[in-house]
Amino acid sequence: MENGYSFAVGSLIISLSVITTWGIMLVLTLTAWLSTRRLTLFPGAIQTVVESIVAAIDEAILAVAPEHGRQIMPFIASLWIFLTIANLVSLIPGLHSPTRDLSVTSALAVLVFFSVHWFGIKTQGLKKYLHHYLTPSPILLPFHIISEFTRTLALAIRLFGNMMSLEMAAMLILLVAGFLAPIPILMLHIIEALVQAYIFGMLALIYLAGAIQSQQLNSQE
Amino acid sequence: MEFNTTTFILEIINFLVLIWILQRLFYKPILGTIAKRKQHIDQSLEEAKKLHDEAEEQRKLYENRQQLWEQEKKAAQSELHQQFEAERSTQLEKLRSELEQERQKAKVTLTRQQEEFQQQVEKQALENGARFAGLLLQQTAGPEVENRLVAMLIDELNALPETAKISFQATDTKKSLNVKVTSAYPLTTDLVQQLEQKLGQLITRPMSFQYQQDSALIAGIRIDIGAWVLHANVGQELAGFAEIAYESE
Repeated sequence: MENGYSFAVGSLIISLSVITTWGIMLVLTLTAWLSTRRLTLFPGAIQTVVESIVAAIDEAILAVAPEHGRQIMPFIASLWIFLTIANLVSLIPGLHSPTRDLSVTSALAVLVFFSVHWFGIKTQGLKKYLHHYLTPSPILLPFHIISEFTRTLALAIRLFGNMMSLEMAAMLILLVAGFLAPIPILMLHIIEALVQAYIFGMLALIYLAGAIQSQQLNSQE
Repeated sequence: MEFNTTTFILEIINFLVLIWILQRLFYKPILGTIAKRKQHIDQSLEEAKKLHDEAEEQRKLYENRQQLWEQEKKAAQSELHQQFEAERSTQLEKLRSELEQERQKAKVTLTRQQEEFQQQVEKQALENGARFAGLLLQQTAGPEVENRLVAMLIDELNALPETAKISFQATDTKKSLNVKVTSAYPLTTDLVQQLEQKLGQLITRPMSFQYQQDSALIAGIRIDIGAWVLHANVGQELAGFAEIAYESE
């Protein structure tokens, strides 16, 4: 029912955020397919740009998690790419960012939450992974558990709050200042969108790297 | 700000699907291409390194060969130098020998030329001496000298060896013998008598004497007795003196 742009499939109500997400997925899929149709060893301009993006993301992930970076790369890279596009979608007149919807940011945060445990258990085993909650002292176990939930909640709320407030602020400034303000606001919007996407993805990367390498860090200590 | 469960669940599914799509269509091909390129570059670098190593090996091999060639060249040069030295010594020795021979020849030739020159000079001196003596005697000679020469001839006829006397006796005793007496000055009657008497003692056959004068004799006489000629004159003595020079050559 949000902003009147939604439809129902049986008992399911498809919100505007989901529709926008599908649109973003479609664009990303087409872009990915078109840009990787004719990959060569001697790249052209488009291939160079695409390779540069992927290589930059890969290097950033490997810098944080050198040993298991390739395992978590698809998840983190997809987060960065999706969030960047999703945050910038609101620049197109008539569209809204899916990330101004708490359901969307919560879904992503929950995915990060489960991914942390999934990759942690996958790389270390269940016993070793759970053991890290008891280090350096079992007394800290409740705090570890609380931390897991609060940081997931913080992820969802941070992104949602920033994007929603950004759109609201932009709308208010447009109402007050008319047509003189849009360009600086748009610039601010772009920067904020990129920063928020980067923060969300980087925090997710740090959480994942921490879960994967916790046993290693403990053994080193 | 309301939370929609359907949206929440669909977004989770959407994102998982998006990860799968991007992994299949985007990350995997691009990372694969980058890996291939890296592999290609590594392979090229490896080939370049291999080529570099081969080139280095070839260079070392070439340097070793060049060093060997240099040693062989030096050895060949040394051998050639020794051969040259030996050949040069041989040729030099040969040349020295030839020069010595030439020098000896030149020395002999020079000595011979000097001897010839000396002989020629001596001969010339003798001839000059004879001519000067002739001129001097022509001016100083006179009848007295001639008389003394005739007297000397008569004395020498007395002192002739027996073999010479026998040769005069062996001639034909019946046939008359012409005796031609040539003098530079007219002979005195006394000398003529002594001369005929002395020749009559030596020659037993009849003789016809014929007297004449010849200034070329300078002083003295010449007696022609058939095949025999007796000289007792200055001109003949000077000629004989010159002939000695000729014979000595």
